[in-house]
Amino acid sequence: MLELFPLTFYAISAAMILSALGVILMASPIFSALCLAATMTLLAAMFFMLEAYFVAAIQLTVYAGAVVVLFVIVLMIFDLKKEKQSFSGNWAINIAKIGISVASFLILAVPLGYVLARANPGWLQDRAPVSKDLALSLFGKYLFTFEIVGALLLVVLIGSVTLAKSKGGTHAEHHE
Amino acid sequence: MPNIMNSIALNHFIILASILFCIGMLGVLIRKNVVVMLMSIELMLNAVNLIFVAFSRYYGDASGQVIVFFVMAIAAAEAAIGLAIIMAVFRKFRGVEIKLFENLKG
Repeated sequence: MLELFPLTFYAISAAMILSALGVILMASPIFSALCLAATMTLLAAMFFMLEAYFVAAIQLTVYAGAVVVLFVIVLMIFDLKKEKQSFSGNWAINIAKIGISVASFLILAVPLGYVLARANPGWLQDRAPVSKDLALSLFGKYLFTFEIVGALLLVVLIGSVTLAKSKGGTHAEHHE
Repeated sequence: MPNIMNSIALNHFIILASILFCIGMLGVLIRKNVVVMLMSIELMLNAVNLIFVAFSRYYGDASGQVIVFFVMAIAAAEAAIGLAIIMAVFRKFRGVEIKLFENLKG
């Protein structure tokens, strides 16, 4: 039982990194979407390990459910032919891009990881927030933000319907 | 009951989330397909969510998980609007390569 957590953590981490690499390296976009669904599901498992049960459930329904299905439906509408070349630029530019990513990983991870590993973790508290804390915080301290997000979702609903229904806008009329 | 805080240090989560974020960033940089670029952006947002939840667990405060809700709402909104824009571009140019978006200026 004592070894269960590290073992699960490293297994989930390895699977998550592999499926995230699958998202960006798969030649076919539909396989990218499937890898994205796998990454989201594994992330939900990680949230379960972190005792954030409600967030894990939302992760499964919103991301692994709704967002990935949205991507898959859009890919189905496009009915893309096989891409001859999935990656932009030549190999030298792509190696430079990989270098930029590795450098930004070092910039992100080294200061945070190093500082937190060395610091005396006096501020760590052994009390996982439960759904009640979450609800009190969401509808108390963050109520105004919550309402703003609701208004934003309404705007997004109207905007995406307008964009998807538009027949190319003013430019299409101009060109035709 | 075993405790995750005793067996896994917080910086493990930070390193994992940084790796995921950089994979997403690499995807935005190297791919030509705009839909896959949007998926990579979702990957980056998820990496941030992982850091928020990990800090929320180790700090014992629910605020991190509340921020995760907001990030999820923004991410869903961004996916919907982004895919709608891609559909409009696809209808006009019959393709989803990032090169086609150069024609949108003005």
